[in-house]
Amino acid sequence: MNTNSNTYTVIYTTIIVTLVAAILAFVSQGLKAKQEANEKADTISQMMTAAKFATKAELQKMGNTAVLAKYAEEIENAFTVGTDGKKIADLDLDKVYSPKELKKQNYKIKDGSDAEIPVFIFKNGVTVVPVYGAGLWGPVWGYIAFEPNSNAIKGAYFDHESETAGLGAKIKDDPEFQAEFNGEKADFSNTNVFDIVKGGAPKNPDGTSVIDNKIDAITGATMTSNGLDAAIDTWLGAYAAYFGVTTAKDEDCCCEGDSCEEDKSCCEDNKTEEE
Amino acid sequence: MDAKLKETILNPIFKGNPITVLVLGICSSLAVTVTLKGALVMALSVIVVCGISSLILSLLRNTIPSRVRIIVQLVVVAMMVILVDQVLKSFEATYAIDKQLSVYIGLIITNCIVMGRIEAFALGNKPWPSFLDGVANGAGYGMILLIVAFFRELLGSGTLFGVDVLNWLGYVPNNLVILPPFALILLGCIVWVQRSIQKDLQEK
Repeated sequence: MNTNSNTYTVIYTTIIVTLVAAILAFVSQGLKAKQEANEKADTISQMMTAAKFATKAELQKMGNTAVLAKYAEEIENAFTVGTDGKKIADLDLDKVYSPKELKKQNYKIKDGSDAEIPVFIFKNGVTVVPVYGAGLWGPVWGYIAFEPNSNAIKGAYFDHESETAGLGAKIKDDPEFQAEFNGEKADFSNTNVFDIVKGGAPKNPDGTSVIDNKIDAITGATMTSNGLDAAIDTWLGAYAAYFGVTTAKDEDCCCEGDSCEEDKSCCEDNKTEEE
Repeated sequence: MDAKLKETILNPIFKGNPITVLVLGICSSLAVTVTLKGALVMALSVIVVCGISSLILSLLRNTIPSRVRIIVQLVVVAMMVILVDQVLKSFEATYAIDKQLSVYIGLIITNCIVMGRIEAFALGNKPWPSFLDGVANGAGYGMILLIVAFFRELLGSGTLFGVDVLNWLGYVPNNLVILPPFALILLGCIVWVQRSIQKDLQEK
């Protein structure tokens, strides 16, 4: 047979490509459930790392089932809120937001349409929220854990798709970078909620970090640091109203003693001022 | 024939090693050799992709229209790479490593060793020798990867396969070793050693 005729070539390539596509589609469908289970356990362990239940390595060693069990044990409540800070719907405790879903919400936050962003509250009161944005080569995302009813950061964990190993990838691999977030405070009243500063954040004379909303960027990874900074500003900005609402209850409300029951209007005033 | 088959298997491991002699697959050997675990998974992936792609294309070799043979090779290799990636993502034990290797598993398709061996060997030989040639080239590549990763993990993290080897002695890990330039220095040393043993590789 003449294997060089046009008809043969066209038929041959068509068959090969169709065959390969069929094999790949079949395998992809067959393995999908397992891959999603892995991704879910990974996402949960990222949140639990941020909330300081264990380190990422410890959670990885535990295996998927143990991680899911520990999460079920520790999680108190999960729901979505809008950018106005109002609760939209309860989240199934079984459900987590994958990076893909964060991406969808990221578009919505940016173009101002109705975003539904998740809030995860653990039994010890720690609140975990995600952030998502663009690094240098691909998306970066992560989780920031806040102390109960406060803007003080308890911990953070970040992940990325394809940042440079040894440079941008440090947002995930360098525990020292993530530890810089511990104890800092997000400034929800500012559009610059949190700053990752190139050239060094202000330090106390003894070298410890000043408690504010600034930390050091990663040397050699300015683009990734800037991307993460923008991601944090965008997402925590979207949560500002929510945190305004929850922290108002405890701190800013003028309700003192018995007058609280009768006069709640001043609480409302505070809220509108913050917005 | 037996001697020829033996040569097919042994040549890529040392005398005609794809990395140190043919200088193929350098990029990934710098990128994935920070830990032995990553290097091992990468090595096994390349062995599987290289071996099975060579086998499939050798079986098809008489039917492939020569004008589109590169495209057919590409389709088969791409399929194998995606399959390996999907399988790695599906197992708990390999999921984290797959994430760590991220794009480099996908980039096996651009590894010149795979297409090079198909073009140079599999399209002109019977399936069994082609399969062995693919596996042997993958193994030659993997061997260098493991040697480089051994030194990088030992000196850069003080561990081997994640098990503490030097740190308990008070060793301070060297950060330079973690960065890609050190892998290039190590590769240079390996080439140096090989060329001093194998004199016929030296330029006059």
